[in-house]
Amino acid sequence: MTVTENPRTTEHPRTYKYVGTRPVRHDGLDKVTGKARFAADLDMTGQLRGAFVRSPHAHARIVSIDTSRAEAMPGVKAVVTGDDFAELDPTHPEFDTAVNLMARTESLYSGHVVAAVAAVTASQAAAAAAAVEVEYEPLPAVLTIDEAIAEGAPIANPTNRTLFSGDTEPSNLASVNEFGRGDVEAGFEAADIVIEREFRTVAVHQGYIEPHACVADCGQDGKATIWASSQGHFAVRAKTAAALGWSTDRIKVIPAEIGGGFGGKTTIYLEPVAVLLSQKAARPVKIVMSREEVLRATGPAPATKITAKIGATNDGEITTLQSTMHFDNGSTKGFSALTGAMSVASYKLPNLQLKAIGTVTNTARSAAYRAPSAPQAAFAVETLIDELAQRLDMDPIDIRLQNAVVEGDATAMGAPHPKIGFVETLEAIKNSEHYNSPVPQGAGRGVATGFWFNIGEQSSATVNLNEDGTATVITGSPDIGGSRASMALMAAEELGLAVDRITPVVADTESVGFTDITEGSRATFATGMAVVNACRELIEELKQRAATIKGVDVAEVDWVDGAAVIEGQDPLTIPEITAKAKNSGGPLTATASLNAAGAGPSFAVHVADVAVDEETGQTTILRYTAAQDAGTAIHPSYVEGQIQGGSVQGIGWALNEEYIYDPDGVMENASFLDYRMPVASDLPMIDAIIVEVPNPSHPYGVRGVGETGIVPPIPTLANAIAAATGVRMTSLPMSPPRLLAAISENAGG
Amino acid sequence: MATVHLQADHRRFTGGEKVLAVNGDTVGDLIRELERRYPGLGPLLTDGASVAINGELISNGVFEKVDESTEVYFVAPISGG
Repeated sequence: MTVTENPRTTEHPRTYKYVGTRPVRHDGLDKVTGKARFAADLDMTGQLRGAFVRSPHAHARIVSIDTSRAEAMPGVKAVVTGDDFAELDPTHPEFDTAVNLMARTESLYSGHVVAAVAAVTASQAAAAAAAVEVEYEPLPAVLTIDEAIAEGAPIANPTNRTLFSGDTEPSNLASVNEFGRGDVEAGFEAADIVIEREFRTVAVHQGYIEPHACVADCGQDGKATIWASSQGHFAVRAKTAAALGWSTDRIKVIPAEIGGGFGGKTTIYLEPVAVLLSQKAARPVKIVMSREEVLRATGPAPATKITAKIGATNDGEITTLQSTMHFDNGSTKGFSALTGAMSVASYKLPNLQLKAIGTVTNTARSAAYRAPSAPQAAFAVETLIDELAQRLDMDPIDIRLQNAVVEGDATAMGAPHPKIGFVETLEAIKNSEHYNSPVPQGAGRGVATGFWFNIGEQSSATVNLNEDGTATVITGSPDIGGSRASMALMAAEELGLAVDRITPVVADTESVGFTDITEGSRATFATGMAVVNACRELIEELKQRAATIKGVDVAEVDWVDGAAVIEGQDPLTIPEITAKAKNSGGPLTATASLNAAGAGPSFAVHVADVAVDEETGQTTILRYTAAQDAGTAIHPSYVEGQIQGGSVQGIGWALNEEYIYDPDGVMENASFLDYRMPVASDLPMIDAIIVEVPNPSHPYGVRGVGETGIVPPIPTLANAIAAATGVRMTSLPMSPPRLLAAISENAGG
Repeated sequence: MATVHLQADHRRFTGGEKVLAVNGDTVGDLIRELERRYPGLGPLLTDGASVAINGELISNGVFEKVDESTEVYFVAPISGG
């Protein structure tokens, strides 16, 4: 593992005492000893178990549902169907979420829930679910992007209207957006070399190890408490309230530990159903999905069809890029196509035309997956740039450096980039020992880059100083990647307290201010900023208390390294001030909330060496190095972990993972035996290089680091395979049978 | 007057105009003025867009202050995974 020497700029010249160190995470011991409580670990007195009835059809009208036999079975206490849910207007922002968690008049994909039961035991619930009698009228199903956009295609979802089109008729198009600048045709005329290809990717799952789970307990007062595994418990509250037609004050959500989310737990599948079952049965209800349910019915990343055409001069200047990107949203609409197209933001492109089209099909509703839609777009663009470099006989990093965006250059939608570190990240790989080592005999080396926006949004934090001078930092951001440690480190730096004297807590929806989902790599950036602001307010109060204790004006008090300093007197430490809190004004606490602006984009550059067995099509990664701009690494170990985790997920996406459907739209590989995710023995060490170009919009220069690492691996490996075999792979996964077929075709076999 | 940059999707309302000078003290004022000039455009700028103000991206930025030196880009909403 390598960490670059910290090149902090003049905006952030401080040398930090705690930020940038690697303490043991506060939640680490509980997690490695099994003491941490995930949603499936929770059991309540009198608790029932819930189970779902799921449609076997990709598309069908629900003619009738007879629950009488199920209701009469042993242990069964409640049954719910779509009729038990609030009717929402199709324009309601949570309409699709509500319909996805319980079908109403039509089932829209194989695995769509049509009813649910609660019984005393899990086996009783499963038996009762199997006894619910549903009469379906199968309807024509639309399973692929090509089928969705075909002339005269059947309508996959009758409630879908194309976003912001003003159209009133149902459509298989979720969204159509077009944007760009300049004159692409003039750009092609100015080019000496033009390359055009079509790329295909299939649906892949986020693959979090913890299946979705929750416990709901609805009281006699009509209020519900939910223990949920999610990336945002305030969002669970809002979406559950919308699906039920309740006000949010009737719902309290307590965050359980989360066993991975990667975007897939930014939405809900269980909670409103569990609440209704609990309300009917007047007992707590726990629902835990099986792995098969997770794969069949929770958000995969979209399948895509992308055509891209690029032009460049003989000296490597990219003159133009034109691309049409189809992203399949699954059964309901989303913004996936748009974020994919918008992620084309790494190069100076004077002429750019992007068309982003989202389709609707009778497959599971897609969900966000780590830098949503950027990996598929990068597959296309970074492959073409690699091919440009190859045909122009240029170094693949040099051509990228020549065209790389810097501060002030336009993003895909025209807005200028803020301060960014793309050039520095490219140079980190160019200067790496890996890139300067010889390519192993018979192997191929590939390079690619990735970009992700990162977001700010709303966060809240409360910092309480305890009687003995220790501190509690309370936030509403579920910790999916080490954010507790990040919050504690920033609080330690501000207050001058040792990090092990700070306890970071993720509080429920009634115990901390509203906080948006942990998504968009925002928690350390935005929630961290709230923590810093609360600490700074608290320091002002500490100075006031010190002035009171010492009988001086507050203007005479400075705050230095965790103590109030008054000229000519001994410093007052935090424990000395908190010990006198009762006499000087009461408890010491501060709260800050914000809607954070200025999330700094992050860039990543990866390099891989691969060997391909041309008899089996098996790709072996011999060496992999990933560099990424973290702004400032608050806890370098967790930044490295994010870089490595994103890389591994991208490697799986590139080489093996795929949803396989039968002709009727039923997923055929809904288990981890058949859905092939990479395991440790498939992988080399991922060497992580942290680049630090601080974000001037954050007090410590933080950029989100959670997502960008998944963007480069697909084109990195495709480019490495091309170097090793001479075969340009333009469809995923590049699994042994597919790669073998491509090698054979390339050889004329 | 702030300078407002619109996406291709928005330009069907503006007769192809990409860059407009718009009066207002806040982003919300700009949206209201654009809706007045180009009926139907407003909802795309509130429900269907984030805003970049002088290069700094913010969601739900309707109360953000603007002046004659401000460059405003309405861009697609961005979330994340």
